[in-house]
Amino acid sequence: MQSDGTSSRGTPRPAGETLGEGDRAHFADLLVAVAERQDRQAYAELFSYYAPRVKSYLMRLGADNSQAEEIAQDVMVTVWRKAQLFDRNQASVSTWIFRVARNRRIDLFRRAKRPDLDPEETMILPSGVEAPDARVEAMETETRVRAAMKDLPEEQVSLLRLAFYEGLSHREIADKLGVPLGTVKSRIRLAFAKMKAKLGDE
Amino acid sequence: MRKSLRNSGWMWDFTITGLAMIRVSQGALLDDATRAALASGRAAPALSLFIDTLIEMRGMSELEGEAIAGGALETETPAEMSPSALDMAFAAIERGGRPSSSRALTYPELADVPVALRELIRDAEGMRNWSYAGPGIRRLDLGAKGPLKLEIIRLSAGKAVPRHTHKGRELTLCVQGEFSDGVATYGPGDFSVTDGSVHHQPRAHDNAPAYALAVTDAGLKFEGALGAIQKILGQ
Repeated sequence: MQSDGTSSRGTPRPAGETLGEGDRAHFADLLVAVAERQDRQAYAELFSYYAPRVKSYLMRLGADNSQAEEIAQDVMVTVWRKAQLFDRNQASVSTWIFRVARNRRIDLFRRAKRPDLDPEETMILPSGVEAPDARVEAMETETRVRAAMKDLPEEQVSLLRLAFYEGLSHREIADKLGVPLGTVKSRIRLAFAKMKAKLGDE
Repeated sequence: MRKSLRNSGWMWDFTITGLAMIRVSQGALLDDATRAALASGRAAPALSLFIDTLIEMRGMSELEGEAIAGGALETETPAEMSPSALDMAFAAIERGGRPSSSRALTYPELADVPVALRELIRDAEGMRNWSYAGPGIRRLDLGAKGPLKLEIIRLSAGKAVPRHTHKGRELTLCVQGEFSDGVATYGPGDFSVTDGSVHHQPRAHDNAPAYALAVTDAGLKFEGALGAIQKILGQ
């Protein structure tokens, strides 16, 4: 493993904060090292950061401690096996590992937990709006999203997380927060629109 | 109405004798609820894969939702793993050997489709064969869990799927080659949304096979014996 020039390496990263740019680049280096030369030390460092967080994510979604442990392991093994598919220009390691964990969870939980999905809600609904012309690189999108999230009020950030990370439907979010469904819909629309506007600004 | 709208940047919405069909070209966006369902994994797996493929083929930047989720993962309070977790992971890695060496695809031209789809095709080919679905037509069930069916359909050059309707909705994405359904022409990245009332009959162009990725929410309802309808309708 080479140094990436960031000072945070080796020191425990605080929980509850997103990674800085240097750390994200470092983790991408590590995953590339796993892909290219089966670097076990690099893998161990990724494991120590991501496995406990993936486990947390799974517990948040209702897995018990031992299930979450087992699935988190499984996710991390998949990370090793599929490391060649990681493209650092397309996504951060966190986003990529989130996808692996999400897909694993879909395989395992979906049928049992959500047999009665509202098909309207997850069916494709073309909005008729034209796509933004700017075809920014995927990685640039990610960087901008991260920056934009920092500027949103906490309330809106948590709404976006409930929807995009925890995968709650608008109805479930309304129940959880004890606010009317319409309010949830309009707040999420507002939060997402604000974020998109910020993306457009840069 | 019949001009080619491929890559024209518009969504085209039309009605043929009361039958609703939407052909969506470059520029259609997903609404927030759909995006959230896709990003978080709440959407049916078949639909997620379909959309992932579509997005990748078009280079659309629909990644905001996943980036939100990736950032959220970083903010999780780490849950303690057992002390032997890493060793167990290495043991599992040793058992499983190297990252899967690629088995050759049945149809090499599918090597160029988006990687998630390609891997799914490879996995499915390991479990089952492409099945016969009429002269020049092969289909492979991609084994998606959940209520939706996901399959890839191969049309040999010049061949057509028997005319059919669907009980439910069908999304069809052209992933390779070109085909026409009598209304419009589809190339890689073009897709259509049809409901139960549409009779459509995709036909591959004469020069090369075409591949379509299809999501259906109920079994296909073929009308009559294979091919018979084609004769009756003079197609």
